[in-house]
Amino acid sequence: MIRRYWRIWIQMAQMSLQAQLAYPLGSFGFLIGKLMRLFFFFAFVIAIFRHTDTMAGYSLLDMAVFFLTFNLVDMTAQIFFRGIYGARRAVSDGDFDFYLIQPCSPLFRMAFTTVDFLDVATILPVLLMIGIVFARLPAGLGLGRYALYTLLTFNGIGIAMAIHIFVAGLAVRTQELENTIWIYRDIMFMGKFPVDIYGGAARWVLTLVIPIAVMVTFPAKALLGILSPAWTVYALALCAVFLAASLGFWLDSVKRYTSSSS
Amino acid sequence: MIRKYWTAYAISLQETLQRRSSLLMDRVGGVAIIVSLYYFWKALLGTKPSFLGYSGEQMLSYVLVMNILRSFVFTGRGWQLVGEISSGRISSYLVRPISYHGYTLALDLAQKTVHLAAAFLEVGVLIAAIGARVYLPHSLSTWLLFSVSVAVSSLLFFFMEFMVSSLAFWTSESGGPLFCFELGLQFAAGTFFPLDVLPHSLQKALAMTPFPYMVFFPINIYLERMAPAEAVKILGIQAVWLAFFVWAATAVWKLGLSNYSAEGG
Amino acid sequence: MLSIETRALTKNFSVPEKDPGLWGSVKSLFNRRWRQVRAVDSVSIKIEEGELVGFLGANGAGKTTTLKMLSGLLTPTSGEAVVLGHVPWKRKSAFQRRFSLVMGQRTQLWWEIPALETFRLNQVIYGLSDADYKKNLGELVDLLELQDCLSVPVKKLSLGQRMRAELAAALLHKPALLLLDEPTLGLDVVMQQKVRAFIKEYNKRNKATILLTSHNMDDVVELCPRVIVIELGRLLYDGPLAQLVSRYADHKIIRAVFDREVKAADLAHLGTVVEDGGLKAVLQVPRGQVSARAAKLLQGFPVVDLTIDEVPIDDIVRRIFTHK
Repeated sequence: MIRRYWRIWIQMAQMSLQAQLAYPLGSFGFLIGKLMRLFFFFAFVIAIFRHTDTMAGYSLLDMAVFFLTFNLVDMTAQIFFRGIYGARRAVSDGDFDFYLIQPCSPLFRMAFTTVDFLDVATILPVLLMIGIVFARLPAGLGLGRYALYTLLTFNGIGIAMAIHIFVAGLAVRTQELENTIWIYRDIMFMGKFPVDIYGGAARWVLTLVIPIAVMVTFPAKALLGILSPAWTVYALALCAVFLAASLGFWLDSVKRYTSSSS
Repeated sequence: MIRKYWTAYAISLQETLQRRSSLLMDRVGGVAIIVSLYYFWKALLGTKPSFLGYSGEQMLSYVLVMNILRSFVFTGRGWQLVGEISSGRISSYLVRPISYHGYTLALDLAQKTVHLAAAFLEVGVLIAAIGARVYLPHSLSTWLLFSVSVAVSSLLFFFMEFMVSSLAFWTSESGGPLFCFELGLQFAAGTFFPLDVLPHSLQKALAMTPFPYMVFFPINIYLERMAPAEAVKILGIQAVWLAFFVWAATAVWKLGLSNYSAEGG
Repeated sequence: MLSIETRALTKNFSVPEKDPGLWGSVKSLFNRRWRQVRAVDSVSIKIEEGELVGFLGANGAGKTTTLKMLSGLLTPTSGEAVVLGHVPWKRKSAFQRRFSLVMGQRTQLWWEIPALETFRLNQVIYGLSDADYKKNLGELVDLLELQDCLSVPVKKLSLGQRMRAELAAALLHKPALLLLDEPTLGLDVVMQQKVRAFIKEYNKRNKATILLTSHNMDDVVELCPRVIVIELGRLLYDGPLAQLVSRYADHKIIRAVFDREVKAADLAHLGTVVEDGGLKAVLQVPRGQVSARAAKLLQGFPVVDLTIDEVPIDDIVRRIFTHK
């Protein structure tokens, strides 16, 4: 069972790469664009710190950790859950009909089988920068902090996965929410900064309702040693609840699916 | 003559409203960006009375006015053009007695109408919700200069994007270049932050390009950070850029068309 | 053994309603009204293993909706169905491995890359061993003459080639049941002939059950000994193609040849004059009165030759499609 799914994933990933290479110019353009965005933003943060030393109590190095953790979670989700971006089209063009009649989980096909190799190329500079920033962190943070950072980063990716599953469910249910995933992307924009900068209500929303804080700010805070154990437990529990709820929503949406006409 | 474009406008307006969820999504995304930028600057300002020569009120107004400008300036029809060229649907327009530029401009205006209304609503709600204070220009001439410069920069964007999208005639997939173009443009125009943040040399270099004239300078006119004479000069430079891009977009379009028909679509 | 059995299968859809014009658009932005439409209404059918059945009806009659319920894409509003021993909308993989659905306007082939890649994907999805895959693929490639199409990006294939590649992708796992929705749509005459020959051959070779919808009369007449007709979601006829005529046509055709000219107006009281050429006439006569009218014709007119025919099957099928 797992072996068959592994083979399906490999075959689909391989097909995605071939399809991307069929449009070299377009694909290359998007790659350059994404690198540009990363670079611009980093340059922006550095430029800001030419005029000030701290922001909401954080140093430039702290801000870099927040920004890079955001990119790590965000890009990993984009690489592996790319299929969601085509979810509405898969439903309206009828590809989803084929997913449903074949002996392979339709959620698996919809969400996880389009791999974006362009983003693999964009995550490399992020990893490199994380290496540079980590090297500048004060020595002796202890292995525990790094382990917690890794755990919470994966936890964040888990929450991202739940959100992607939820969006896939919406596409199946309504067949028209073309841009739901773009809302997620835009709201994710708020995660580029530590959530502490947001006003009271916004901060609570980002921690409890649309848990971008938990996804990207918490791992960074854990690394900087300013996340309490209670919030750590909350983060892990939230991920579990989100995954269960989104899966339930997905199953219900498929049950109500009305295949597009003709 | 004008009537068919008016009809295109009206139909497109209906279409935009009909796809209400798309519209909603577009706007929610925009709100997320202004909220985060708003708080970013607020946090940065902290207790400082001013930053980079912007008063607190001016800086936060920059973000809010920017949201309205984004809705009005950065809504082109480039993606439609790219799609229609690569699918070959473009041919069906070419045989009709309608100018493609005029037609898409009518569609674009419809989109702008809806988005502008939504942007005003959002900024209004935001002001009410978080008690933001907005800088309002004191003199009538500022309002006038600002309106004209926004109208010009909106057209400037339309023709610029049109030119970049026309590359699809040669590559049949200029989605990538268009994506890069839009990203670079939004940064260089000052959509995410006032360009004053950048080092002086970079600011000077950018001033040689059309980009700062699309958002950064118009907002500066609005915030009355420049003398009226300087504002008029900005309008002049905008006009020169607009003339250039109307010419360039038309030229590239013509070249592209002849290339397209030579290869038989 | 039964391959398909449905009992009172019914499906309702909700469709949004909008007033015309700009104001209607603004209104529907805030308040959308929904209307219930019954697409399939209490359809009960039984299809035996190995049968080749044509499923006919005008556009929007409910054919595709029925096929989608049979393949498990849609859950019915009410009613039951058992297909290959399974309830289709439970989507058990044991069921999915034994059937296939081909839709003429849709493709499961990846557009930018060769069809062979999609075939390989189906190999892993259906869990076919390399040996089975090679054997089945070889057979399909021969039968469908696909040798030259395998390593070309799908977008470069002609419509006919693409349809045949589509069939190959759907049949790699040797399904025992094949649901075909408009398999010859848009193909030229030669290609239609090839696809038909293939469907017939596949049915014979594998004892596969095939249910097909088509707007192409030749498909129906050539392939389907049995037809099911559906109209406005209701089952209208289910039986041999040959008997469709007597069920459907309420009249017969009388052709007469005269030895001198007869005016059309003089024949009008005997039936509807379809053709009138002076020395020849073709009349439509209500089924029950054929012999009486024929007798009158023979008595009252200088008839040299007279034949009584059923309405041609083409006309009947065409009438079903155009929903008259």
